Amino acid sequence: MSEGNIIEIHNLKKNYDKGSIKALNGIDLEIKKGEFISIMGPSGSGKSTLLNMIGALDRAEEGSIKVADIDLMKETDLSEFRSQEIGFVFQMHNLIPNLTVLENVEIPMYESNLNSEQMRERALELLEAVGLREKAETNPTKLSGGERQRVAIARALVNHPSIILADEPTGALDSKTGDVILKLLKDLHSKEKVTLVMVTHEPYVAKMADRILNVLDGKIKSSS
Amino acid sequence: MLMVKNPFRNKTRAILAIIGIAIGIATIVALGMVTGGLQNSTQSSLKAGSAEISVTKIGSGSFGSSGGTLDESLVNDLKNISGVKDAAGILRVNANISTTSGSSGSFGPMGGLYLSGISRNELNMVGIDSINGSFYAEGDSKEIILGKTAAGNLNKTVGSTINIYGTDFKVTGIFETGNFIQDGGAYVSLSTLQNLTSNNNKVSSIAVKVNPEANSSQVSQSIQNAYPNDLSATTAADQANRINQSLGAIDTASWAISLLAIIIGGVGVINTMVMSVYERTREIGVLKAVGWKNKRILGMILGESVVLTLVAAVVGIIMGIIAVEIILNFMPTSGSFSPVLTIDTLLKAFAVAFLVGILGGLYPAYRASKLAPTEALRYE
Ligand SMILES: Nc1ncnc2c1ncn2[C@@H]1O[C@H](COP(=O)(O)OP(=O)(O)OP(=O)(O)O)[C@@H](O)[C@H]1O
Ligand SMILES: [Mg+2]
Repeated sequence: MSEGNIIEIHNLKKNYDKGSIKALNGIDLEIKKGEFISIMGPSGSGKSTLLNMIGALDRAEEGSIKVADIDLMKETDLSEFRSQEIGFVFQMHNLIPNLTVLENVEIPMYESNLNSEQMRERALELLEAVGLREKAETNPTKLSGGERQRVAIARALVNHPSIILADEPTGALDSKTGDVILKLLKDLHSKEKVTLVMVTHEPYVAKMADRILNVLDGKIKSSS
Repeated sequence: MLMVKNPFRNKTRAILAIIGIAIGIATIVALGMVTGGLQNSTQSSLKAGSAEISVTKIGSGSFGSSGGTLDESLVNDLKNISGVKDAAGILRVNANISTTSGSSGSFGPMGGLYLSGISRNELNMVGIDSINGSFYAEGDSKEIILGKTAAGNLNKTVGSTINIYGTDFKVTGIFETGNFIQDGGAYVSLSTLQNLTSNNNKVSSIAVKVNPEANSSQVSQSIQNAYPNDLSATTAADQANRINQSLGAIDTASWAISLLAIIIGGVGVINTMVMSVYERTREIGVLKAVGWKNKRILGMILGESVVLTLVAAVVGIIMGIIAVEIILNFMPTSGSFSPVLTIDTLLKAFAVAFLVGILGGLYPAYRASKLAPTEALRYE
């Protein structure tokens, strides 16, 4: 792994449905530590699949992928890798409705060795950072869409990940609320010095990033 | 936290599953309480010091008062049979009680009191060797002692009067043997009862105590051989065995029901948990995405399943206790029999519930832990 790269991908291929769908068809990509990358491309081009590969939610068939010095083609304990290195933000907030906001943010820390007091403290710290500390004991169903997404961002950051993977984080929000979320992500990115990889359909959103990757048919077409 | 909150997300489904398992548990508890009570009672009827053999006229039950009477002179005759240490005549009647004004004695639909007459000195033969208060005076006294349950039912204490066949009796003492039939009855002196019921020189059964070195079944046999056409003799051990046999049958039934409860409850839990896992597919995907290990997800679903069944156990135990109380309330002999909830029964109820929780949760938990995260997150 060359100096400063947190993600290194070479000729990565991922098939679905026994090879009939080539979701990723030879991806080559290097991302530097602390970079903010936007990924664009038409629906079905493989953006989410690429994010899922980086986040070790699934394994690729071919090629190589190294993230945070870990070879994901070989690593056996992918859940530990996810817990320590990755924070996911999805298009849908995916909060657990019967837990409080605070409990939702604590969930990723169950696999850490923090005690419940430390977990609570850390979760409150992040709720503070996304401006929702006073909603800690609220049920997520009582929050607005933007607030829920902020809770999801707090949840993604709670384990001090080195990479945030955001798959259309504003896709389900109106543009005004979306802008607040984007600003929050960008601020956290610069403050916490995490690497941010974000899939988006909005060109003006993509332009906020250090670099824009265009994906088409499972390949990276251009990088700017 | 999730384990405690999750099972009740779909309240209707959780309640249905809980009721299903609780009914099985309630049955186990109810049967356990009844067998426990009966067992206690038979054990105390085998008390040391009391008579080992009960002799009655052929064709009548040992507690039968209508089956025919024996001549009192037989008591002394039996004492001459080898192996017999002592014999005591007992007259038993089912007496009508006229509740005098002021007493609010609630009484079962049968409206009778098992009243026995026995010589005061022979009370130890029927297992009564201590008393709260004093024993009745010998001879034609108007004094009576009551079993604890009978006293409670009739609302009588030491010093109260009780009217039997138009005669007022003074309660001199209250006894407790632990045997539910005995404790629901009352004793007066033999001559008193003989006079009262015009049964002079008659007894309904003879209690026989054997010598310590003699064998009670052999003695019982010699009594029957001596009076082949008149007497039938049963040993207390025989009686207890007979009762224990029926208790054993109830016990087997109870295990069979437990097994049925495990199977039915288990299927219910599997169904509930599979549905719950299915509905939460996306959520499980998120848990995996944030780094939860398969083991933790497996544990969570199993835990939820066990929480569900343990709640059902508590509900079932309460239901079982209430059911036994209600049923006994509608039974004529209610006052004289007290069901016993043993630790064993409680442990069995919880063990069954726990087992159902684990068995029923295993498959759904396995399925949840094996969900592919990317698929789970794509799930609509
Ligand atoms: N788990 C899966 N099983 C089968 N096919 C899949 C699966 N995941 C993705 N695919 C297929 O792989 C291809 C790429 O999907 P992907 O979700 O990466 O696209 P995308 O670029 O994120 O699209 P969108 O903009 O609509 O989110 C699609 O044809 C999709 O149907
Ligand atoms: Mg996508």
